[in-house]
Amino acid sequence: MKKYVVVLCVLLLLGSVVFAQGQADTGKTLLKVGMVTDAGTIDDKSFNQGTWEGILKAQKEGLVDAKYLKPSGTTEADYLKEIGNLFDAGYKFIITPGFKFETTIYEAQDKYPTAKFVILDGEPHTADYSTFRIEKNVVAVYWAEHESGFLAGVAAALQMKTGNFGFIGGMEIPAVQKFNWGWQQGIKYANENLGTKITVKAENILYQGSFDNVAAGQQIAASMYDKGVNVIFAAAGGVGVGAINEAKARVTGGKNVWIVGVDVDQYPEGMLPSGKSIILTSAMKYLDRASYDMIKHELAGTFPGGEVLHLDATNDGIGIPVENPNLSADVVAKVQELYGKMKNGEVKVADSQIAGLFK
Amino acid sequence: MKVKIKSNAFLIAVSAVILGLFAGGLLMMSIGSNPFEGFYYLFRGGLMNMERIGNTISTAITLMLVGLSVAFAFKTGLFNIGAAGQMLVGGLCATLVAHYVFIPRPFYLVVIIFCAFLGGALWGVIPGILKAKFNVHEVVATIMMNWIAYWSIYYFVPAYLKGPSLETESKSIAIEQSLRSPWLTEIFGGGYINLGIFVAVGAIFVIKYVLDKTTLGFELKAVGSNRFCAEYAGIKVNRNVVISMMIAGGLAGLAGMTYYTGYSRNIQIGVMPSMGFDGIAVALLGASNPIGVLFSALFFGMLQSGKGFMNAMTEVPPEIADTIIATIIYFTATSVLFSRFWDSVGRKKRDKAQQKIDQDESKEEVSHE
Repeated sequence: MKKYVVVLCVLLLLGSVVFAQGQADTGKTLLKVGMVTDAGTIDDKSFNQGTWEGILKAQKEGLVDAKYLKPSGTTEADYLKEIGNLFDAGYKFIITPGFKFETTIYEAQDKYPTAKFVILDGEPHTADYSTFRIEKNVVAVYWAEHESGFLAGVAAALQMKTGNFGFIGGMEIPAVQKFNWGWQQGIKYANENLGTKITVKAENILYQGSFDNVAAGQQIAASMYDKGVNVIFAAAGGVGVGAINEAKARVTGGKNVWIVGVDVDQYPEGMLPSGKSIILTSAMKYLDRASYDMIKHELAGTFPGGEVLHLDATNDGIGIPVENPNLSADVVAKVQELYGKMKNGEVKVADSQIAGLFK
Repeated sequence: MKVKIKSNAFLIAVSAVILGLFAGGLLMMSIGSNPFEGFYYLFRGGLMNMERIGNTISTAITLMLVGLSVAFAFKTGLFNIGAAGQMLVGGLCATLVAHYVFIPRPFYLVVIIFCAFLGGALWGVIPGILKAKFNVHEVVATIMMNWIAYWSIYYFVPAYLKGPSLETESKSIAIEQSLRSPWLTEIFGGGYINLGIFVAVGAIFVIKYVLDKTTLGFELKAVGSNRFCAEYAGIKVNRNVVISMMIAGGLAGLAGMTYYTGYSRNIQIGVMPSMGFDGIAVALLGASNPIGVLFSALFFGMLQSGKGFMNAMTEVPPEIADTIIATIIYFTATSVLFSRFWDSVGRKKRDKAQQKIDQDESKEEVSHE
């Protein structure tokens, strides 16, 4: 028996010698940036991934040392534990994607006063919404989803010229609702000013109620397509993945249907074996830019602590992808022109349900 | 000369843990990390300061009660895979109490413990009755009960306990109505430790007493060892099956209470608590012995709460900690191999000792001649 123990020890020792890697000495200490993922994985093609890509960009430029942690659950306690882990490991600039972190950051801002937090898509408040408070070590970032949805609506309408459009939302939360308001306003704008003939029916504006029910997304998309809808804007996370799957199946079967992606450029998600994608365009929030910019601000000493930022067309926070293989050059040019008008305030998009919009 | 090496539960558990850690170390080496560094931070992450010890214990509390639930059913020869569902129902009952019952703290604690136990017991007793009356296998029945609980909560929580904005979780429980306690939180520097620790440790000793010192415990164990023999001896097997599942369910219900009103302070829909299944591992490693469960839950709790810090400090992915847990379970599940191994080691030594004695004796005999 002793022999085995000795052999084990020797193996372990050898291993540790062979594989031991001292901390790489870079000479200067980099800013350590941590991220806690929301529900889902780091490669979710959505919130987590978008945020992480911005951090990775800063890391590639040699600006920061980055690390992400995936909590074991999605409760406030799970989130706070991972923030504690990052903090204790020296990652004192922490980025958290998603409104689910609102109550977590509310607690963390006091618990870790020497750390800095960026919360995307929300701002710190108590669980019952009675108190909103943002400390000097926190920046909250919101996006103008309605403007993003508006641009995607105009682009889709211009490309299709005629047809019947639908919308699938995840949970009925403000960020998703705003996408919906913007989408319908964009279609309306194109119908009234750019000569398109797109119909939108109330029955084709639906909220599924979750962000992860892939099967339900597929069913809803199937029934919409059956009712004659050609383009669905799916602002619904995993539910949207179901819709994308349905569109892929139909296009493979010879039908002509489309999906408009959300949050990030979802073009690769809709890719068919033929090399074409069923993603017409995507209503984007530039998550990567937000996380990258916040890091840059921190490094430059201009971290806007205590502020709630609103990213929209005026500060290039939203838009459609730069590359849109499924849109004609003419359409892209027109959308660009419109984007310019939004920038200088000529065109305004409402962020709430105004007359004529379906819920 | 006496040689004492013989297989026992403790030795098997310890060898499973060591081999599990060793396998984890090999994995770390294979991805180019230093296993000593990895383990150092894994343990540090669980035990570095009072707050982290508190978090380790708070994770262990739930595991302890689930482990106890599974272990208790094991003793009666039943495999309770339904701890997750029982946790959900027990947790839901506790959450309801936390939202709607406002009475002085001591009474409140009694009521919440009673309701959580009752909820879990209800979810456990149904498979128990099905098993006793219709011989429906409890594994199938408890798994189905898990999903019934899962979907019932999926619709119940948004309908009756909806939070102000989130559709996916119940409104959170006021800290005074939760199981967290200011003095405990203070001692452990703000960890998630809660009064559940007393429930869990209390349950361990009550169950140990029931199993070891009461007629009921004797009957339950007899049914578990050989139900036909027990029946022949005049023990009411079916009654004992139902009672066993009821108590096992109740214990899991208490686990749900410690998790949903102590650790997280709300119930999320669409989430099957993974502790319900981790508890099986805890029971296995603890050899279905209440005291064994106590220590194995603490060990797993430490791994669970230390893995995040290991991940933050090294390039070792957190899945390594899960792999270690899985490997340990694997080694525990194949405990027959260990008991054979330790027995054979013991036998060799005994044989050697015996040989030596024989030789000495024969020498003596020779010298006498």
